[in-house]
Amino acid sequence: MSAHHTSDNIQHLYEGDQSKLYSGVMAHHTDINSTESKKQVGRIWKVFWILLVITVVEVVVGMFFSHSMPRALVNFFFLALTILKAGYIVSVFMHLGDEVKSFMITVLIPLALFIWFIIAFLYDGGFWLEMNTTVPIR
Amino acid sequence: MSQATTAETKVWGGGRSPFNVSYGKMMMWFFLLSDAFTFSAFLISYGTKRFFSEVWPDANSVFHAFPFMGHADLPLLFVSLMTFILIMSSVTMVLAVHCGHYGDRQGVTKWLLWTIVGGICFLSCQAWEWTHLAHQTGGLWGTFVDPATPVDKFEHFFKHGTITAANTTAALEASHSFYNYFFTITGFHGGHVASGVVLLIMALINTVNGTYDNRGHYEMIEKVGLYWHFVDLVWVFVFTCFYLL
Repeated sequence: MSAHHTSDNIQHLYEGDQSKLYSGVMAHHTDINSTESKKQVGRIWKVFWILLVITVVEVVVGMFFSHSMPRALVNFFFLALTILKAGYIVSVFMHLGDEVKSFMITVLIPLALFIWFIIAFLYDGGFWLEMNTTVPIR
Repeated sequence: MSQATTAETKVWGGGRSPFNVSYGKMMMWFFLLSDAFTFSAFLISYGTKRFFSEVWPDANSVFHAFPFMGHADLPLLFVSLMTFILIMSSVTMVLAVHCGHYGDRQGVTKWLLWTIVGGICFLSCQAWEWTHLAHQTGGLWGTFVDPATPVDKFEHFFKHGTITAANTTAALEASHSFYNYFFTITGFHGGHVASGVVLLIMALINTVNGTYDNRGHYEMIEKVGLYWHFVDLVWVFVFTCFYLL
């Protein structure tokens, strides 16, 4: 897949208009009915079906089962499926999976801040609830 | 022969584009990264408030209406339809980008049109949902602020039987926060969808006029596509936070 967007020697395109970088890469593709093209369209539809099935499963669980399951399990289940969906959208639909590795890393690393962000804020919310409900007002 | 050694140039040594991506596309990615932090700040703030509250409205009890179905109890069905529309429009968008790679103007035009239709359908659904909820709560922002509000105005947002005399005040506050966050976050997302539709229409006009054919590439479709997929991506998280968790 990465061959689609990457060219090994792009030096001659680097000077001046950056968009030539892109058009030079694209010049390889002319036939929309080629096997390569059809393969990619097939991949897009495959991801569509995956996203649809995940969403249907989420809704069915949300409607019928989530109330009778342990809260922690429900949350884990929904968050795991959400991140799976996000992964498919970013890597296939947004073609991040087809970019060079260093660019992928550049985009994804700042997102690691969310781990701290979410834990810190939710813990704080829970702490305040505990303070409000267990500590008597002086 | 020594001319053929260019491949040995160090990646970051200059003279080449290490990310192998054009400036415009890279900046779109960085913009979307910053936008991701904005949306996350909203959603994490919502989560904090929820952890702070003793009780919280139940999605199955709040979102159970469907247009033209009267008072039928159909939890989450309408929002599932909205999610389906947005995923579908993401597929048509990526197909437009694909046709752009091959310089297929007709294909780009066709798929952009379908994407615009999807975006407008989504916005219409959201308009209906907002109208319905505003009708149910008596306004958009700033509802449920009067401590004298009778409990039967808001107890049906919560799971049946959870509201007692001991947590009525907490339930009123939670209803207030829930709706404020709902309208702020879905509103901010809807604003993104609306501006996305405007961008798509501009890209469609340029495509039909042959602007991108003259330019020699359809990179603009790809950049607008990145924005559109991001909007879909945000919806995935909004959907989880408001309707599922």
